[in-house]
Amino acid sequence: MLSDFSLKFQAEEQPERPLWRAIQSTEILHFVRSLLLAYDVIGVQKKRGRLVLDSLQDAADLVLEFPPAVHSPKKFLFPHWDQLFRFKLDENILLEAETAAPPRIIFGMHPCDLHAVKILDDCLFEGETDSSYRAKREATLLIGVDCTPDEFCFCTSLGTDRIAEGFDLFLHKRDGHYLIQTGSERGRKLLQDHAPETYDGPEESPLPLQVKQCDNKIKFPFESLPNLLEDAYDDKIWQELGHRCLGCGSCTLLCPTCYCFNVQDKLEISMQEGQRIRTWDSCQFDQFAQVANGNNFRSSQADRQRHRFFRKYKYLWEKHQRTACVGCGRCRRECLSEIEPVTVLNQMFADSPQPAETRPGSEYQPQMAQIIDVEQLSEKDRLFRLRLPQSIDFTPGSFMQISVFGLGEAPFSIASAPDGGNEIELMVRKAGTLTQALHRSRKGDSIGLRGPFGSGYPLASMHGKDLLLVAGGRGLLAIRSLLQAALADRHNFGRITLLCGARDIEALVFPEDLLDWHRSELLDCRIAVKDPDNSWGIPSLDISYLFKDLDIDPQRTIAAVSGPPEMYRQVNPLLFRMGLAEENLYLNLERHMKCGLGKCGKCQINNIYVCECGPIFPYSAIKHLGEAIER
Amino acid sequence: MKMKVGLFDFAGCEGCQLTVMNLEDQLLQVLQHIELVEFRELMTETAEQIDIAFVEGSICRPGDRQRLKQIRQRSKVLVALGSCADNGGVNALGSDRTPEVLRQQVYANDLPHLYTETPQPLSAVVKVDYRVPGCPIDGQEFLAILQALLLQQQPELPAFAVCVECKLAEYPCSFDYGQVCLGPVTRAGCRAICIDGGGHCRGCRGLIDNPRTSPYHRILEQHGLTVEEILDQYRTFNVSEKAP
Repeated sequence: MLSDFSLKFQAEEQPERPLWRAIQSTEILHFVRSLLLAYDVIGVQKKRGRLVLDSLQDAADLVLEFPPAVHSPKKFLFPHWDQLFRFKLDENILLEAETAAPPRIIFGMHPCDLHAVKILDDCLFEGETDSSYRAKREATLLIGVDCTPDEFCFCTSLGTDRIAEGFDLFLHKRDGHYLIQTGSERGRKLLQDHAPETYDGPEESPLPLQVKQCDNKIKFPFESLPNLLEDAYDDKIWQELGHRCLGCGSCTLLCPTCYCFNVQDKLEISMQEGQRIRTWDSCQFDQFAQVANGNNFRSSQADRQRHRFFRKYKYLWEKHQRTACVGCGRCRRECLSEIEPVTVLNQMFADSPQPAETRPGSEYQPQMAQIIDVEQLSEKDRLFRLRLPQSIDFTPGSFMQISVFGLGEAPFSIASAPDGGNEIELMVRKAGTLTQALHRSRKGDSIGLRGPFGSGYPLASMHGKDLLLVAGGRGLLAIRSLLQAALADRHNFGRITLLCGARDIEALVFPEDLLDWHRSELLDCRIAVKDPDNSWGIPSLDISYLFKDLDIDPQRTIAAVSGPPEMYRQVNPLLFRMGLAEENLYLNLERHMKCGLGKCGKCQINNIYVCECGPIFPYSAIKHLGEAIER
Repeated sequence: MKMKVGLFDFAGCEGCQLTVMNLEDQLLQVLQHIELVEFRELMTETAEQIDIAFVEGSICRPGDRQRLKQIRQRSKVLVALGSCADNGGVNALGSDRTPEVLRQQVYANDLPHLYTETPQPLSAVVKVDYRVPGCPIDGQEFLAILQALLLQQQPELPAFAVCVECKLAEYPCSFDYGQVCLGPVTRAGCRAICIDGGGHCRGCRGLIDNPRTSPYHRILEQHGLTVEEILDQYRTFNVSEKAP
């Protein structure tokens, strides 16, 4: 999520077109001299024999070609010791806000560190903007400079070796001189005011995006990192790292994007006044996740290393769609135990069970499943029982993609309950060519399957509750899966009520099951059919009539409603009138889920991919989406 | 009512007391909040009742035990000041041989006025409530601990290792220079002053609560060091403590 501030940075401050000018070393010297009159200029310089990033006193001290080992500029944007406010312990406690940050220029930041600032922006402007960071960020101009990766850098694996925006100026090294590129209006103005001769110099042709070379490489596309970690929560590698790690916290302190902090009060010696400060903390420290009674929620070093990797490559990816690692290599460069993220990730990848995923397009390749039974449910509907090569784990409401080679692929709700085995049931209604072809399949044939996809009903959180299941037409497919799961575990649920409606008797799927459920003592099953000429002799009613004498306890009921949108428009208000909470109503928002991978966009409801986040949603999560159930 | 504070000393170089005196202006400011009732380096007065006693030095001479017990009796809170008081410090270095042998080796004569027992930390004799570690102590840490006690808070020492302070100050790692360093297992709070001075950490502030022994040993081996070599370093200040 971008705050107003970062929008301002990215939209308003972006100049129409970057300027490109040649700048000689002597001009850079004059430029820095001029800047020193107006700004605190931070640059790499030699101090006590070491290259460090610090306030420049003399422009001649500035080093522009420096190794990636120099510590990151985080310390100037998010310092280790940051005063939040001062207080005075008079009769009335007096608070003084932190004064504004000094106007500052960081002259010489490698592309990875510029990317790191974007990550800090993501994290610290999200939600409640961190005003102390904001003050420094607004008062600081960033000037990028080319770098040469060393053996620990792996920026090329993360795409952070190159940068097109996120700086005010950037210096590209050429033979014997530099090309300076503007990246913002502030940067353009800075060049105009402090290096007017360069600014007025001839236009140079823009360079293509500068790409680096690193020998240290992640051997798979970095986009797979969140999924890789998802499956590696219990990997043995965390124990290995836990045994190697000293817990010294150097990795997080040196990381240009780690910003977790502690807040403390520091009293002056007078004990009459003091400051509330924040200092860098580290998830690698013993007490980081410890609470007042002594419990520690990440008690082993293995837990802490895992947390670090998950935060870098998964948690923040899921929030901001980029890794919180920029491949600068600082964590490894100064780690006495030589814990190297690239080695860890590559090893994890090599140990991961799906090497097929590396093959381009493999996520679209179905596996073959055998038809072990075919049941004719009605004239148009057939139920296929399929056996997969391995067991299948899913939540009721998930779906599979069935392939018929030559005709394509289509999504089908899983109609059976998850039972930990390798068999599932899919109902196919004969309609188009693909479903007709499926109807021609016989027991013993093989068909292509991909999945399971999607997120279904959270069964465990429904334990102990009454279930009110409302199905319209083919909406019964997902409901059947849920009901079968609940009946298999009957003692864990309270009352179960199934209300099922359809246009006519032919539109009722699973008629035999419905009759069984109607007769069963385990649930209350009521059926309504609109068509007056129905052969079952049940009253011809709209589904809303089934609610008339319905007696539910809204406090302990979870409702799962699955059917066409017009049914939701009709049924939802009835449920809310009965006192059901919005978060206790689950809707099935199936769309045309083509790829199942959250990519193709066909199933998208406003900004949400149904195939990833649904198709089962709590009403509270989708009520703000205009495309969800409105006409 | 100002808290009554006393400073006491046993066997040691008095460097920790000097560190307190060197606080100068800050010490004068502190005097607005405490009543200094006993401090041999500064004054001749003594006191019957003490709220906070800071005790420097290790216990080794005849009569030390009795005097320490009396200080404990007079004091509400007793704080070990510096390595010698905290864990025996460098005084305890010779504890691998008897005091008689040591005396012969050092002085080659039997000098009765130099009779000592093996130096021990305060905690071997009395209950120690809190400690200010280090050889010498860090003056600012002393002030922070005193301040916490005046506010009746639990004084807290950093729980992390000296490595943190090296990284924050951007000092190069001693291991990169082939030097044995106890920084990875030693409690921070010294601002890595020895590494800043071009040296390495000898562990004067004692171990962190949870030293990672096995990765540390592996690192020593990788740098061609034996555990015995690092123990030699470690024993400089921590003879009486369990090794990392």
